[in-house]
Amino acid sequence: MIHMELQLGLALPSTAVKGFDLNAYVYEPRENMGSHPSFHSFGFTNDICSNYKKRNFDEAFEKDKTVPRTLPLLHWNNEPNDEDDPKDLENNSSFDSNKTAEEDVVVGWPPIKTWRKKIWHQDQGRQAKPKNNQAVKNIGFGSRSAQSKSNSMYVKVKMEGMAIARKIDLSLHDSFETLTTTLISMFCVWHDDSNNYKLTYQDKEGDWLIAQDVPWRTFIRTVQRLKLLKISE
Amino acid sequence: MNYFPDEVIEHVFGFITSHKERNAVSLVCKSWYKIERMSRQRVFIGNCYAISPEGVIARFPELKSLTLKGKPHFADFNLVPHDWGGILYPWIEAFAKSRVGLEELRLKRMVVSDESLELLSKSFVNFKALVLVSCEGFSTDGLAAVAANCRFLRELDLQENEVEDHRGHWISRFPESCTSLVSLNLACLKGEINLSALERLVARSPNLKSLRLSRAVPLDALQKILMRAPQLVDLGTGSFVHDPASDAYNKLKATILKCKSIKSLSGFLEVAPRCLSAIHPICHNLTSLNLSYAPGIHGNDLIKLIQHCRKLERLWILDCIGDKGLGIVASTCKELQELRVFPSDPYGVGNAAVTEEGLVAISAGCPKLHSLLYFCQQMTNAALITVAKNCSNFTRFRLCILDPIRPDPVTMQPLDEGFGAIVQSCKRLRRLSLSGLLTDRVFLYIGMYAEQLEMLSIAFAGDSDKGMLYVLNGCKKLRKLEIRDSPFGDTALLMDVGKYETMRSLWMSSCEVTLGGCKTLAKNRPMLNVEIINEDDQIDFSSDDRQKVGKMYLYRTLVGPRKDAPEFVWTL
Repeated sequence: MIHMELQLGLALPSTAVKGFDLNAYVYEPRENMGSHPSFHSFGFTNDICSNYKKRNFDEAFEKDKTVPRTLPLLHWNNEPNDEDDPKDLENNSSFDSNKTAEEDVVVGWPPIKTWRKKIWHQDQGRQAKPKNNQAVKNIGFGSRSAQSKSNSMYVKVKMEGMAIARKIDLSLHDSFETLTTTLISMFCVWHDDSNNYKLTYQDKEGDWLIAQDVPWRTFIRTVQRLKLLKISE
Repeated sequence: MNYFPDEVIEHVFGFITSHKERNAVSLVCKSWYKIERMSRQRVFIGNCYAISPEGVIARFPELKSLTLKGKPHFADFNLVPHDWGGILYPWIEAFAKSRVGLEELRLKRMVVSDESLELLSKSFVNFKALVLVSCEGFSTDGLAAVAANCRFLRELDLQENEVEDHRGHWISRFPESCTSLVSLNLACLKGEINLSALERLVARSPNLKSLRLSRAVPLDALQKILMRAPQLVDLGTGSFVHDPASDAYNKLKATILKCKSIKSLSGFLEVAPRCLSAIHPICHNLTSLNLSYAPGIHGNDLIKLIQHCRKLERLWILDCIGDKGLGIVASTCKELQELRVFPSDPYGVGNAAVTEEGLVAISAGCPKLHSLLYFCQQMTNAALITVAKNCSNFTRFRLCILDPIRPDPVTMQPLDEGFGAIVQSCKRLRRLSLSGLLTDRVFLYIGMYAEQLEMLSIAFAGDSDKGMLYVLNGCKKLRKLEIRDSPFGDTALLMDVGKYETMRSLWMSSCEVTLGGCKTLAKNRPMLNVEIINEDDQIDFSSDDRQKVGKMYLYRTLVGPRKDAPEFVWTL
């Protein structure tokens, strides 16, 4: 029974619509919230509840809705378990549930100013998750196929002497200072002798240039990838 | 019509300062229009593309203060490409050519070049105040020009801008004769600052009331600066990190005790929690506190601080305060009017953070609350209904559940009823942002009850065109509507095209509107600019009209399609 309610609440599949009666939804603050002192019963919601009585689900919602819009994201686990308690779902990071290792993320969500994100980024000195948002996840609107590009700007960074390249999102930076701070924390080895490495970049024409020789604005417009080179004695 | 000479009417108009009221007054008759326009000094332009600078100057030749807004709001969240527009230079150029005695310029989301700042600084002798919010395109060189040339500068307020830092000594460019500063906000600057030049500037600014420092100003420098400005009313610290056992720290503690006028505190761009006790002595006077730039302070330290802040009217904080901390806020801050709770880990997975409990506690404890921005992990209908009952004063209600389509976790229902309660109860609501799982029903409620609503932000909500139609039909005072990732299409878009001329703008991205729909909308509508932002060359001239449009931004205008649109922006 719990499972059934779950399915109705989440996915609103059209076949189940007829059986769902909004009149059954009644606000009961005390039951839900336990002993929290700030909840009172009140006549206020009677207005809302009485609105419910005036129309049932069929009237309020389109009967012929064929696309259960919310379906794809809200199958927390692909096979909902009969033993699942609805409250367990609170513990799932709902948004992360369908993520693959690639960690697709929606552009511009949550709606926080870029400037604010940069502050955290600097403070933590680590690369902000998500790791790869070149593609935007299509969260559940089956009919739409277009995917919009994010404004992030990932480039590869290689450090001389290290086998594995990393990726860094340049859109989160606006000066060489913050960039090098982040690179230092990325490549912990570098921290000890950061003066022995110089930052170079490959521009659109394929040439390798020294990063700090040009103004930031020129750099950001043309950089394709980064490389940290050891300064030879 | 006029029983009084013009001078008397003009004198009466002098008491009318709100631009909405002045707009209303100017519509009464030709005579009042003329008197009003010749006497208006403060002009507000909500969309810089709605009118030309020449048009503004022609109508309001006596203007002294100009407010301009550029990019659409969703540009804050990376949804608008950088080169979209909102360029300041043509405005400065036009004003410089005219005889307008510009004294104040307030800009939001505009592209401000160093050249425009330089031209500004040289063109207006009495220039007094520059306020830049969420702007970009300039460097400290532009600031140097303003510092050097604006001899009577009172206000330089930089809020959350992207400033290219050339680490020059631009602060030193303020001449010794500059003693007029009242407000200086440098918080968003990232590079080094010449600390002794800054200290000297503060020392020779006896009228300085508001000072917000950048991260590059360490704690010992803060102490020296505060010694010079004990009269400050608004302080933003820079880096607040030091060994609490040190001399410098103890000196700071002593100096802060002298700053009895500080009512507003912000900054802490970098902070060691152990140092926070230095500000406890001034907490009891604070009416405004912004700790939202300071990650890494645990809930308990925040609580210790807030327990001293009984007069707080405005609080911006991170969600590490937790529900428990918000409970403390509710029992301590009875004067609270505005609360903003930001996420400390936006992509995190279910960490601490705040839930509906914190919000309910606040609503119960803070009767004067009217403005809210709340990022949370979850929300329930029951909670929202309670909040609506406790607090019917909301004018701004922005709720952001981090998972954008999360239902009520207790009942698994959409949050329609909760938001419905909010709009029904809060009759003065002007701004609303929705999140969580929402059906068309919430829009039915909004259309029915939100009579004063001026700005609505919708994301991942609704089921069909009906949702958008409820809003367009119902909200008579709607000015700005921004929608993303919602299934609203051409039917809703085209139902009442005249409505858009009563609004400032409409943004729709990742919805169901098609190229054909947008074209139809734009046809024969000289007062509307319908812009398609065409990234990745999704759409070209040979495109099928049935193709969905990725991003559409339309706005009313008196001057037709803009001439500075980049190649990826099409005006239909």
